[in-house]
Amino acid sequence: MRVIDRYAFGNALRQIDPAQKGGLALLAIVLCLVLDRPAVGILTLVWMLMVTVRWAGVPLQVFGRVLLTEGVFLSLSVVGVALSIAGEAPEASVFAWNTGALWISATPESLTLATHVLTRSLGCVAALNFLILTTPLVDLLELLRRMRVPDGLIDVMALTYRAIFVLLDSLERMMTAQDARLGYSTARTTMRSAALLGSQLFLDAYRRSQRIQTALESRGFDGSLRVLPLDYRRSPRIWQVGVVLAGSLIMAGMAG
Amino acid sequence: MIVLLEFDDLHYTFPGSDTPALRGASLRVERQRRMVILGRNGAGKSTLLLHGNGLLRPIAGQVRLNGKPLDYSRRGLVDIRRQVGVVFQNPDDQLFSASVLQDISFGPLNLELDIAEVQRRVAEAADLCGVTDLLDRPTHALSVGQKTRVALAGVLAMMPDVLLVDEATSGLDPWMRQQVFDIFNRMVERGATVVLATHDLEAAQRWADIVVVMDRGRVVAAAPPGDVFVDPDLRRLIGPVDQKGR
Repeated sequence: MRVIDRYAFGNALRQIDPAQKGGLALLAIVLCLVLDRPAVGILTLVWMLMVTVRWAGVPLQVFGRVLLTEGVFLSLSVVGVALSIAGEAPEASVFAWNTGALWISATPESLTLATHVLTRSLGCVAALNFLILTTPLVDLLELLRRMRVPDGLIDVMALTYRAIFVLLDSLERMMTAQDARLGYSTARTTMRSAALLGSQLFLDAYRRSQRIQTALESRGFDGSLRVLPLDYRRSPRIWQVGVVLAGSLIMAGMAG
Repeated sequence: MIVLLEFDDLHYTFPGSDTPALRGASLRVERQRRMVILGRNGAGKSTLLLHGNGLLRPIAGQVRLNGKPLDYSRRGLVDIRRQVGVVFQNPDDQLFSASVLQDISFGPLNLELDIAEVQRRVAEAADLCGVTDLLDRPTHALSVGQKTRVALAGVLAMMPDVLLVDEATSGLDPWMRQQVFDIFNRMVERGATVVLATHDLEAAQRWADIVVVMDRGRVVAAAPPGDVFVDPDLRRLIGPVDQKGR
């Protein structure tokens, strides 16, 4: 999470209007879903990888690591689509494996479906990765605010996001303190320490919320967290990229 | 001398506590002063400061701003908080936004100023606190010293006449601490008063015009450091006295 956050704040596209980046990601997702061809999914993935790595300057390893995590989850869920389990020998299967009572098999149709689902999801996920790796949450919230999402919801999201980092700091401090007193030396003490840590963290968060409330009040808080809108740069190039992207995806969709 | 803020015989006990935090604390805060409040943990320093901008209401006694008793209505509180700012001990308790710029803009926007004025004040406060370069950085990527200065900027952008600071210089290295004192000095040059609650005796001796000594919920002295540090009784309340009698 910290890695994603670091590049979101420090990439070459940081200053570009989040609406434009969100628009590009949305365009890719919609085309990927509508055209529904494995080639389109793969192409979207390649496009988003190129834009994120070459244009925004996010290292390939970072994009790869984020994608790998998601890829593992997607692959695991696609296994259920590709394979079927039955009591008797299947007909017309590409592959069948008898485990005694049960047959595990895959048909050409199920494999095609699995490929479709996997490539389509990978394409969409890559588009989302482009967005989260180039746009920090602060900017996404700004975008939501412009889209007239209710203030209360945005305030909660903003506070939660900030609180994650403050709590992570608390968590690390507490864990170090426990570790220093051999809190994680055996499996038994590890369980105990982790339980204590959980409850302490909860108390810590509660006390902190009260202190934040006091501090906000002292600056005139009256129920809504009003802040200045942020300034962005509009990039004409992102629309050009969008047009080329759309064109290539549609062509891939027709050909495939 | 113009008295800005006056604490008059304040009594306060925190809900659920047996011991009163304040028992008859009185203090006058004049214009353009460098004040340091000393006293042991639990002497009532923070509690007194929180009464200064209406975050706590005394059980008995009165707080006066420009000679008038504090008005605790919604409108009144906006007015108090425009004039009296509080900086808290831990900047992480004060910085609520992940964007430095947006955090600093929160206070002035609550004063119902127009956007152009808010932008001007944010820029000015950022400049005064040396955080202009940090405006588009995420709050969680800042060092403690940077967070402290951003927290200060968030209060200074409201342009208070009195700045109440609760221990914000503890935990900073000498260089960062000096930067914070430089900011305080610039505030005082502009006519504001800075009241700093601290255990930093060196700051009290070198920086303060007035040293306030608190003990068990009362203000026992408010005088120039030269007078406070030579008084043996007061000296004992401030901290341990070594053999050399410093």
